[in-house]
Amino acid sequence: MSSSPLRQRPALLRISMVALLLLWSLAPMLWQLYTSLRTPESLLAGLAGLGGGWTLANYSAVLQADPPFGVYLLNSTVVGALSTLLTLALAIPCAYALSRRSDLLKLVIGGGLLAAAVFPYVLLFLALLQVARQLGLANNLLALCLPYAGLSLPLAVLLLQAAFADLPVELEENALLEGFSLGQRLRWILLPLIGPAVVSTGLLVFLFSWNEFPIALTWLSRSELLTLAPAMARIAGSSVFTVPHGAFAAATVLGGVPLLALLLIFQRQIVAGLTQGAIKG
Amino acid sequence: MSLLLMAPALLLLLAVFFWPMLDYAWLSLQAQTVFTGLKPVPVGLANWERLLGDGRFWQDAAQTLRFAVVSVGLELLLGLAIALLLHQSWRGRGLVRSLSLLPWALPTTVMALGWRWILNDPNGPINGVMQSLGLPSLPFLASTQLAWLGVVLADTWKTTPFVALLLLAGLQMIPTDLYEAFALEGGRPWQGLRRITLPLLRPYVLIALIFRLAQALGVFDLVAVLTGGGPASSTETLALYAYLNAMRFLDFGYSATVMLGMFVLLLASALLLVLAQQRWQGARP
Repeated sequence: MSSSPLRQRPALLRISMVALLLLWSLAPMLWQLYTSLRTPESLLAGLAGLGGGWTLANYSAVLQADPPFGVYLLNSTVVGALSTLLTLALAIPCAYALSRRSDLLKLVIGGGLLAAAVFPYVLLFLALLQVARQLGLANNLLALCLPYAGLSLPLAVLLLQAAFADLPVELEENALLEGFSLGQRLRWILLPLIGPAVVSTGLLVFLFSWNEFPIALTWLSRSELLTLAPAMARIAGSSVFTVPHGAFAAATVLGGVPLLALLLIFQRQIVAGLTQGAIKG
Repeated sequence: MSLLLMAPALLLLLAVFFWPMLDYAWLSLQAQTVFTGLKPVPVGLANWERLLGDGRFWQDAAQTLRFAVVSVGLELLLGLAIALLLHQSWRGRGLVRSLSLLPWALPTTVMALGWRWILNDPNGPINGVMQSLGLPSLPFLASTQLAWLGVVLADTWKTTPFVALLLLAGLQMIPTDLYEAFALEGGRPWQGLRRITLPLLRPYVLIALIFRLAQALGVFDLVAVLTGGGPASSTETLALYAYLNAMRFLDFGYSATVMLGMFVLLLASALLLVLAQQRWQGARP
């Protein structure tokens, strides 16, 4: 009995720390959810306005706007999926080749990839915009995959290269003796074994492409082509005089929920990719 | 064969990362504005002379640095606390870890719009609580003294989970028998943190520091949506200034110069960081 206060104190401390952590992490999002379900009058009434005033009108306003909000989500999903496929198609052969070398070139490329991975890419937007204009790629949704793949390659190659390097060499030598070609070795032996790393990498590329802002902002101007990030900025800058807080909040909920769901479903893979990227890169 | 497999990826990398820098080097020696009909006209070093004397550039550089240092510092402290909490074993830990990672997954523009409403004066929840306590409401985003702290708060909220995750991975690499041996020798848990955890965590702290500093020094999305650089340019960052020069003032030559100037400052701070790290390692072998 005498030891129980001493035992309870750390537990109590931990519970309050956990409660604080959850409050800090979730309260801002729950506030948006709450706001999105409230009428304008009840929002301006401050704490006195708690109680009545619930509505779904904010959601119908956002979903029936011109263009409807779903278009942005669809655009982001299309760009995200295609960028992920293109990145993996380019990164897998490169990472494989890099993992089988041990020369000066590998060191140079590895160092360059590391530097590129931490480079604040927003600096590149103006030159990339000029290229896009010269090649007629502005206002072309699918063309965004090119810069997105380029920007994602450093991290993707580093992650996949580390995964290839972890595989035992004998595995491939045996397959070589059995007469497997390079393509067959990759397809049937190596790729299945680094499957988890491919999934983690793909998810990180998808998250990046879905969220990317400065390039999408400068390449796209037609509103029906906007991806989520520039659409959000345009919504934020739209109403100068009366700010429709409820509709804004509904937009943040609709814009946030898909990725939150993705994170909760694929949490293990995303966390593995993030930590591997930091530790091996 | 090996080169052939790497070629497509390397070519795209060169096009996306290397070509822009060459382009800026050339563009920074040109005047390309509405006065030149948006056509490039060689002007020598005029853009660079203008940059050196441009008070707004240097003010933005100082503001960017202030934002990066304060928010990354906060993220490391908070991230370490969260990682230590999540490293202990208790029921429900997995769920709490998932939930605490959620802010990181939100698109920056989405969460920036959310924080604009949270920091709203007088109808946001923070000011609502302050008023109900009888305190005056604060113009978080309309005051030149407070607005940058609002940006720091929103950035810390979003990226602390990432830092916590990296540090948690680092904590999990430390063998537990080190602590057991330390306890056997009569060490207190609190001393274990200072003598074992922090030294062994150093590489992970360094990775998080480098990664986050680089991102924070290039901050653009958050500021563009949360404050637009205002009020009175008090939250404007270098990236936003470069963007405004190109897209609003249509001064492409100078925008390229600003970006190169920012690049030079980034390299200088990276060099300083490396030197500091070497001294740190030298002092405590």
